[in-house]
Amino acid sequence: MAHKPHYAFVIDVARCIDCRACQVACSVENQVPLEHTRIWVQDLGLLGEFPALKRSFVPYNCMHCEKPPCTEVCVAAATYKDPATGLVLVDQEACIGCGFCVDACPYNARYLDQRRGVVDKCNACQQRLERGQQPACVATCLGGSRLFGDLNDPTSAAAQALKNAKSIVRLDYEVNGHDTGPNIFYINLPEEAAQSGFLYMPTDDRQPLVSQPGELPREPQYSLAEVGWKKVLAPLLFAGIGASFFVQAVFFTKQLIEGEKEFEE
Amino acid sequence: MPENLLTRRDFLKLGGGTAAAAAAAQFIPPRATQAARIIASRDPHGDGYVPTTCEMCVWRCGVRARVSEDRVVKLEGNPEHPHSKGRLCARGQSGLMNTYDPDRVLTPLVRVGKRGEGLFRKASWDEALDITAKNMLKIKEKYGPEAMVFSTTHCLSQTQFENLLYGFGSPNYGTQRSLCFNAMIVANSMTFGMEEPARDYSQVQYILLTGRNLMEAISTSETSDLTDAIARGVKVVYLDPRFTKTASKAAEWCAIRPGTDLAFHLALINVIISEGRYNHEFVANYTVGFESLAEAVTAYTPEWAASITGVEAEVIRRVALEFSDAGPYALAHNGWRTSNFINSFATERAIAILNTLVGNWGVTMFPAAGEEGGALGKPPQPPYPRISALRLDGVPWKFPFVPLKLGIFQQLRDGILEGQPYQARGWFIARQNPILSLPDRQRSLEAFGKMDFIAVMDIFLNDSAWFADVVLPEASYLERYDPVITVGNRIWLRQPVIEPQGDVRSALWIYKALGERLGLGDYFQYEDEEDYIRQQIAPLGISFEELKLRGYAEMPESEPEIHRWPTPSGKIEIYSSTLEAGKFDPIPKWQEPPQPKPGMFYLLTGKVGQHTQFGTQNNLLLHKYEDVPRLWMNPVAAQTLGLQDWDLVEATSEVGSVKVQLKMTEAIRPDCVYMAPGYGHLSKGLRTAYGVGASSSVLHATTVDPISGGQALTQTFVSVKKA
Repeated sequence: MAHKPHYAFVIDVARCIDCRACQVACSVENQVPLEHTRIWVQDLGLLGEFPALKRSFVPYNCMHCEKPPCTEVCVAAATYKDPATGLVLVDQEACIGCGFCVDACPYNARYLDQRRGVVDKCNACQQRLERGQQPACVATCLGGSRLFGDLNDPTSAAAQALKNAKSIVRLDYEVNGHDTGPNIFYINLPEEAAQSGFLYMPTDDRQPLVSQPGELPREPQYSLAEVGWKKVLAPLLFAGIGASFFVQAVFFTKQLIEGEKEFEE
Repeated sequence: MPENLLTRRDFLKLGGGTAAAAAAAQFIPPRATQAARIIASRDPHGDGYVPTTCEMCVWRCGVRARVSEDRVVKLEGNPEHPHSKGRLCARGQSGLMNTYDPDRVLTPLVRVGKRGEGLFRKASWDEALDITAKNMLKIKEKYGPEAMVFSTTHCLSQTQFENLLYGFGSPNYGTQRSLCFNAMIVANSMTFGMEEPARDYSQVQYILLTGRNLMEAISTSETSDLTDAIARGVKVVYLDPRFTKTASKAAEWCAIRPGTDLAFHLALINVIISEGRYNHEFVANYTVGFESLAEAVTAYTPEWAASITGVEAEVIRRVALEFSDAGPYALAHNGWRTSNFINSFATERAIAILNTLVGNWGVTMFPAAGEEGGALGKPPQPPYPRISALRLDGVPWKFPFVPLKLGIFQQLRDGILEGQPYQARGWFIARQNPILSLPDRQRSLEAFGKMDFIAVMDIFLNDSAWFADVVLPEASYLERYDPVITVGNRIWLRQPVIEPQGDVRSALWIYKALGERLGLGDYFQYEDEEDYIRQQIAPLGISFEELKLRGYAEMPESEPEIHRWPTPSGKIEIYSSTLEAGKFDPIPKWQEPPQPKPGMFYLLTGKVGQHTQFGTQNNLLLHKYEDVPRLWMNPVAAQTLGLQDWDLVEATSEVGSVKVQLKMTEAIRPDCVYMAPGYGHLSKGLRTAYGVGASSSVLHATTVDPISGGQALTQTFVSVKKA
C-alpha cells in the first residue's frame, strides 16, 4: 500500500516564548496584508495573583481539520481538503470571497482579504514544502515549539515529539454534533494552561472537547445523523435562496478569469 | 515655501527615482557578479539564496536571503551559523522591511529650515560630503580637533569609524555602551581579565538569571539554548521585579526589590562559603583573595538579605544550596544591559565571584572569543596623531577604569552642555540616535543646540537626524558590505543581497569619502568595500569568491587555553588590587541604592521581543505584531491612585514628564512601573513610529557609576496621576 501521509502541526506549548518570530516570518513568506494575520500566538493571560503567577502562550493557525466545517459551506468549491496531503487549502482562483467559510471556522483561522476579494489562511506554506523546506513559522521558531510533519512517518520530528509527549491536547470542537478533528496537536501543556484559559479561543463561545493529558486524542467520529443545521441545512438554505445569484457569480467570475486569460494570450 | 525646499513627504515621493544613475558607482558590486552568485543557488522556483549577516541587533545571526528578480523576498536563519542555527527572531525576520521601508532616506539631505522643522533639500553625495568636511575643518581650525564629537554604535565598520575620529585628532568618542553594559564589562574585566566570558548551555544543570530576560531581550541562539535547557529539566531561577516571559518559563521567579540583586548574591556567597560548599580545589588553584572574601561576607546572611530584597531567607538559602549542589554545572548569568543602579558594578562582581566559587570555568563558562580575530589582515595606515586634549566624558582622567572604547556617553553629553574643560562645536553621529537613547532627552536636545554643525549617518530620518544639518543615507545591511567578523573558527561575511535602493552608500564608502575630504586618505587605503575585505582575508589564503558563495570561511584552528586569565595576577581576581589602587572596594560590599519616596515608583525599563533599542519601531512588520506600549502598574497601586486599565496617565520624574496609557497588570511589583524603551519618537520622518507610545528617556535622570561609568537607568523615580 502506498504511504498515505498525515500532515499535522505539533506544538509544544511549554516551549513557546511568545517572541512572534513565527508571525513575522509567515507575513513575509505569504505576503499577508498588514491588517491581517494567518497565524496567532494566544496569550492565555496571567493566572494567579502577584507574586504567584503563571502564564502560557498557545500558537495556533488553521487546524487543517479532518472534517473541516469550512469546506462544507464553500459554494464555489474553492476551499477543499487536499486528498494527497490532508491539508485544507483555498483555491484563490475559484474563491468568490463570500466569507461563509470565515464564519464557519470555529477557530477563526481565516480572513477575507478585501483588496483581493478572496479568503486567505494558513496553507502550511505549500510553496516551501515543495522546496523541501519547513513552513516559515516552524523553520524559525526560537523555542522549538512549532513542529510540522507527517505523523504516519514515525521518524518525523512531529511524530517523535507526539510519541514522547507528556500530554497531548487537541482543540476538538464539536460543531453540530461531530468533531472537527483538528490537526494541531498541543503537547506538554503546563497544568494551569490545560485547566483554564486554554479552553477559550478568541471571540468564540463554543466549547472544545479536550482529551485528558497523557491520553492520545480519540479519532473523530462522524455520522450523518450527527450533522446539524450549520453543516447541511445552512448550505442548502444558502444554495436555495441565493442559487441564481451564486451560480451567476461563479460563472461570471470564471468567465472573467478565463476571459482575461484569453485576452492575455 | 521656496521652491527648492522639500518637506519630508515631498522628498519621499522623489526618493525612488534617483536610484539608477548614481548607484552605478564603483562601490556597488557589478550586477553580473551578483546575478551569477544568485543563479548558483537557485531553487526549483527560480529564487536564489545569498548568505549574509543580520544587523537587526548586535547578536549578528547568519542569514540566508531569498532573492527573486532583484528583490529580497524572505530571510532565513543560516543553519551553519552558530548564532542563528537556522532561526531568526521577529526582528531578523522583519529585516527586509527596514530595507523597503517607505520612510528610507534615499539621497543625501541638507537642512534648510530651522533645526527640528524637518525641512531638508536633496543634495548630491559630493555636495553633502563637501559641506560636512568644510564644517568639520572649520571647527578644527577655529577650536581644535577635540571640538568635534564622534559617536557610533557597536558595529562591524567600527574600526573605520575610529580611523575617522582618531585620524581627525578628536578624543571624544561616544558609544552606546555606558547606557547598556559597562557595569558587566568592567566587572568581568576586573575579575577575569576579559569583557564577557562565553556561556555554554550544553552541560548546564542549574541557571540563575539576574534580570536577564532572554525570552524578550532575545539573542537567538542563547534564547533557543535556554528553552532547550528548560525542556530537558534544567532549573532556572529568575530575579526580576517584573513577571516577564522569561519569568513565565522559569521554575522559580523571585520578585526582588529593584536595586537589591547585590544583597541576594552576597547572601548566596555567604551560605556557600560558611557551609564550605565552594569548589575548594578550583578556588585554591585559580583564584586570589578568597580569604578576604570569606571575611567580608560574614554579615551577609540570608536573613539579612531577606530584609533588603523582599525574598524570603529560606528561599535564598535553598537557592544557594541548589546552586552549589550543581557545582560546576551551575551558571549565574552576568546579564546584559546592566545599567540599573549605582551598585550594578558591585552586583556584577558578585555574580562573577559566585560563578568562580562553584568552579564552573571550562564547564558552563569559557574564555571569551575575540570578534576581530588576530589572523585577519587590515589595510595599512599611519599612526594616529597625538591627542593631548582631555575627553569630555572624563575618561580616564576622572574615571580611570572605564575603557576608552566604551566611554561614558551620558557624561559626554553633559560635558558638551557644561562646556568643560572646553566647548564642543560639532557632532558626527553614525547609526545612532542619542536624542532618544540618552537619559534626560531635554538635555540631549540642549546639547544639540550647542553645536555649530551636526551630521548624522543612518538609513532613516531618526530623531537625531531630524535635528541634523546634513543627513548621509547609509545602505541597509542587505545592500552593503561590511568588514568580515570572526565567530568561533570561522569568518563570516555581510554582503549585499540586492542593489541599494536610491542613492545610498555603505559606511566603508562614506568614511573613506569623508576621510579623503578631511585630508585623512591614508587611514582609508582601500579601493572599495571588496578591496577592504580582500586585504582582511589576504593572510588566510582563502578565495573571496568562495567566501561570497558560502558566506563564511574557515580560520586556522586555534585551541584556546582554558585556565588562563589575563589579569594582573594571572588568576581570577576575587580580590582586585586594581580596584584597591583606585580607592574602590576590592571586594564587593553592600551599597544601598536610593529608594523612591512614598507615593513614587521605581521606573523599570527592559526590552520587548519585537524591537531593538530605538531603531526598529518604524518597521511595519514589527509594528504589526508589537504590543501597544503602555505604562505597567500593579492593580494594588492603581487602585490606590484611582486609576483604571487604559487610562491616560501622566508619569513625572525629577527631569521630565510623559503622558502614556496605563496597563494594569499583576506582572509587576506594586512599588514599580515599567515602560518599554524606544517609543515616543520625535521625528516626523518616521511615519509609522511617530506618535506611538512615550519615551522613557524623557523621564530618566542622568547618573554615572564612578567605577564603570554605567548609567543607572532604574534609579529614576516617578509619580503617576491621571492625565
